[in-house]
Amino acid sequence: MKWSGNIMLLKKLFRTAWAYKAQFISMIIMIAIGVGVFFGFNIEWYSLDEDSSEFFEATKYADYRIYNEAGFTEEDINAIKGIEGVEAASRILAVNVDVKGTEDALGLFVPEDYVVSTILVNEGADYNAETKGFWLSDKYAQANDLSVGDTLTVTYMGIEVKGEILGLGKSGEYLICVADENQLMPDMETYGYVYASPAIISENIGMEFYPQINIISELTKNQLEDEIKAALGETTLVTTKDEHYSYAGLQSEVEEGKTMGALVPVLFLAIAILTMVTTMHRITANEKTQIGTLKALGFKDRRILRHYTSYGFMLGLAGTILGILLGYFIAGFIMDENGMMGTYIDMPSWQLRMPGICWIILVLIVVLQTFIGYLSVKKMLKGTAAEALRPYTPKKVKAMFLEKTPLWNKLPFATKWNLRDVVRHKSRSFMTLIGIIGCMLLLVGGLGMKDTMGGFIDMINNDIYDYTTKINMVETADNEDIVEFAKKYDGDWQATLSIKLDDKAIALDIYDVEHDMINFVDEDDQKVTLGNDGAYICIRLTDDIQVGDTISFSPYGSEETYEVKVAGVIRSIMTENITMTKEYAESIGIPYHISSIYTDTPQEGIEDSSIVAGKQSKQSIMDSYENFMEIMDIMVAVFVIGAIVLGIVVLYNLGVMSYIERSRELATLKVVGFKDKHIGKILISQNIWLTVVGVIIGLPAGIGVLKLLLVMLATEYELKLLVGPLTYAISMLVTFGVSLVVGFFVARKNKKIDMVEALKGRE
Amino acid sequence: MKIVEFQDVTRVYTSGEHELKALNGVNMSLDEGKFVVILGPSGAGKSTLLNMLGGLDSPTSGKITVGGKDISTLSNDELAEYRAETVGFVFQFYNLIPTLTVYENVALVKEISKNSLDPAKILEEVGLADHMKNFPAELSGGEQQRVSIARAIAKNPKILLCDEPTGALDSDTGVLVLKLLLSMARNYGKTIVIVTHNQNIAKMADVVIRVKSGKIKSYEEQENPMSADEVEW
Repeated sequence: MKWSGNIMLLKKLFRTAWAYKAQFISMIIMIAIGVGVFFGFNIEWYSLDEDSSEFFEATKYADYRIYNEAGFTEEDINAIKGIEGVEAASRILAVNVDVKGTEDALGLFVPEDYVVSTILVNEGADYNAETKGFWLSDKYAQANDLSVGDTLTVTYMGIEVKGEILGLGKSGEYLICVADENQLMPDMETYGYVYASPAIISENIGMEFYPQINIISELTKNQLEDEIKAALGETTLVTTKDEHYSYAGLQSEVEEGKTMGALVPVLFLAIAILTMVTTMHRITANEKTQIGTLKALGFKDRRILRHYTSYGFMLGLAGTILGILLGYFIAGFIMDENGMMGTYIDMPSWQLRMPGICWIILVLIVVLQTFIGYLSVKKMLKGTAAEALRPYTPKKVKAMFLEKTPLWNKLPFATKWNLRDVVRHKSRSFMTLIGIIGCMLLLVGGLGMKDTMGGFIDMINNDIYDYTTKINMVETADNEDIVEFAKKYDGDWQATLSIKLDDKAIALDIYDVEHDMINFVDEDDQKVTLGNDGAYICIRLTDDIQVGDTISFSPYGSEETYEVKVAGVIRSIMTENITMTKEYAESIGIPYHISSIYTDTPQEGIEDSSIVAGKQSKQSIMDSYENFMEIMDIMVAVFVIGAIVLGIVVLYNLGVMSYIERSRELATLKVVGFKDKHIGKILISQNIWLTVVGVIIGLPAGIGVLKLLLVMLATEYELKLLVGPLTYAISMLVTFGVSLVVGFFVARKNKKIDMVEALKGRE
Repeated sequence: MKIVEFQDVTRVYTSGEHELKALNGVNMSLDEGKFVVILGPSGAGKSTLLNMLGGLDSPTSGKITVGGKDISTLSNDELAEYRAETVGFVFQFYNLIPTLTVYENVALVKEISKNSLDPAKILEEVGLADHMKNFPAELSGGEQQRVSIARAIAKNPKILLCDEPTGALDSDTGVLVLKLLLSMARNYGKTIVIVTHNQNIAKMADVVIRVKSGKIKSYEEQENPMSADEVEW
């Protein structure tokens, strides 16, 4: 007997689920999206972290790098190898060189000892320091149709180094392969990297020059700094891996994934849970007489509770299972070797892994959904069987404030009806608003982010960079020779040194700008002419420093401390920096070495010279920004699709629910003689009002989220919020479109109302 | 003068393989201004008959003429217009809009009916002048039914159609509502059709039609119908 009861209830379970299929499906979709977005981002950052860690380990990624422009001697490296706590160290030559016959450049990497920062060869011969040849980045090789056995010629200090490509591979050192900080995104077609054996370099260049040492060590930065000072007898700039582009870029990508994984799913999960609460309440309210009937028949409360609670469990489970699949899909989409992440990060293994916390969240979600089901039915079960049998009566309608004004009587019937309906079903109206606000927020956020990034890049292109070619100078070249060289091409020049400001390593950029090849803008994007009576700080530094303050810093590798007056604030494009003119730098007596020249002369018009390390066109930098914008486009598309799905699912679910609730009223209107079209208009007009309100709230909310995002990105970029009129227009258009289309589909259902059926007594 | 004509009206409901003939070749005609009672056990087809007459449902075959107009082939919108202009409904369960006040429930018909009457005046006539600003849930069953009568009359239709109008009320209230319904119909010169299984109501009718198994069993004109006070309830 007990069994047959169970089977009957089970049958009822599935039939009820079928009857509410629109609600059930939309709830499952909402949960799946919430869980999917959560899992997607969390799998993404976790996989990125784990996969790259393995790669770093496999290629013996260095913990520390030290630099000396004059080059380290053999005694230096031996002294460093002798430091207790240093596991491995090698002198390195790492410079950008031109590829002969192309406009491309390569990061040339020559390790003296192959014990740190190695290359994982996946084609051709293993790396060998004694063999004369090149081991080329496989991605650059692929993008430029090069293969093992081909000949490669690079130009360094005006000297050609020609050799055979012996192998192809990947190195953690170049996980994010950019020429310098000005390049936002890698572009493997124009810039790659190549490992060269010391044998081929010394044969062609005829001398040993290693301005860098890479170190693997467990020591802290401070310990190592002290040890090195003791070993070499002078302060040396020690940079940690956090300051190395590959590791830092990866970490910020991981952090971004963590932030996205914590922020974005909140919106979707909150909506999923709210949808669940309202829908379960509605379903149990509709089923109240059936609940009463079961009770009257003699089913124990516990059985009935279990029966209805199982809906919550079923929905939660189905939603999360779909969500996990969606999560892997999203993570796979981002973590695609040939897709989004692949254009930024170059590593061999792209395995997806789920962080442990996800399982806990997963269980919590299913439990929560089950609990919501439990609470909804608990409410309907209260009291005696007779009480439970009575249909659910919503709260009484109370007169609104508006009704006391004379305006009320002038309102048409449809308006009154809709207004009361909105007020009476507060939770439904609220949810509808949330759905519209969410839709609007995602649209404004996504499109606004693109506007902001686009504006930033336009500013760089039009207002800041006015040169055609950037010439990178050899580190050993004399300043006089460089200035002479710059004059020949009407060039401006820049010197960059690392300085220590309040224990923080930042850049000091010294400019000589006579031809306006480089320009500067302030916080309001207004052009600034640098004066000679002070230094200019970037926006990031304004948290602690004000204009007029005096700050002191010391360059790495020097014991001197310099005091400068802050004369103004300028927007930095990439690095956290302090900027000053050559004149001001000389007035305070700070030594510098010129690192690059900016000129309007195109690349091919510049003669080869032993002081030129490489040439880079502005176009190639702007192209790398283009790559970045393409990825941005994909992200925006994801946001827009997310917004539309969210809007449709939430609005359709609520629309259908409200239509079921009001079917009796709608049937009455039909019987009284209202035409379908007329009723449809009334239903849609309610949607339009709620949409108007939602848009009014969602627009500033979207801007707010954007501002929040900019604050979170502030350590990386100094972006200025920019939202174009097209973004406003598209966001509103899409939101209204979604609302209208859904409203139209719900209103169409009205035609199918069977008046006779709907009016047959109380259910 | 004939206001309603049914010619060989059949209504078949199909659900899956089952066919149910709710009406099976019904022929009848009703005179204008008369009080008609349709009697029959449940399932006899009397509600179907009323729904056909009210334009809530269309016949499978046959022809229904109301006021000289064939309503059996109208489109959905034309049927809505017909309901708006020609008939007024009173239901067993009142079917008021819970979110509109008493006054608004009646004034609703002004939106769709060209010849509608003043809602306030009608409400006064049904004795609800003091309750116009109340919501339906704040009224008793009898009062709610009076609102629905007011709503039906306010459209100024030719025919009033009532489906068990006293079915949900206790008998004292039922008699009061019935009296009101009849006096309103007389004052405004409406034809009134009541579907019921209450034999007592039939004693007051000009015409009594008995329905059984989807067919008209008898059609009887009463020369001297009783008044409500004469009937033993």
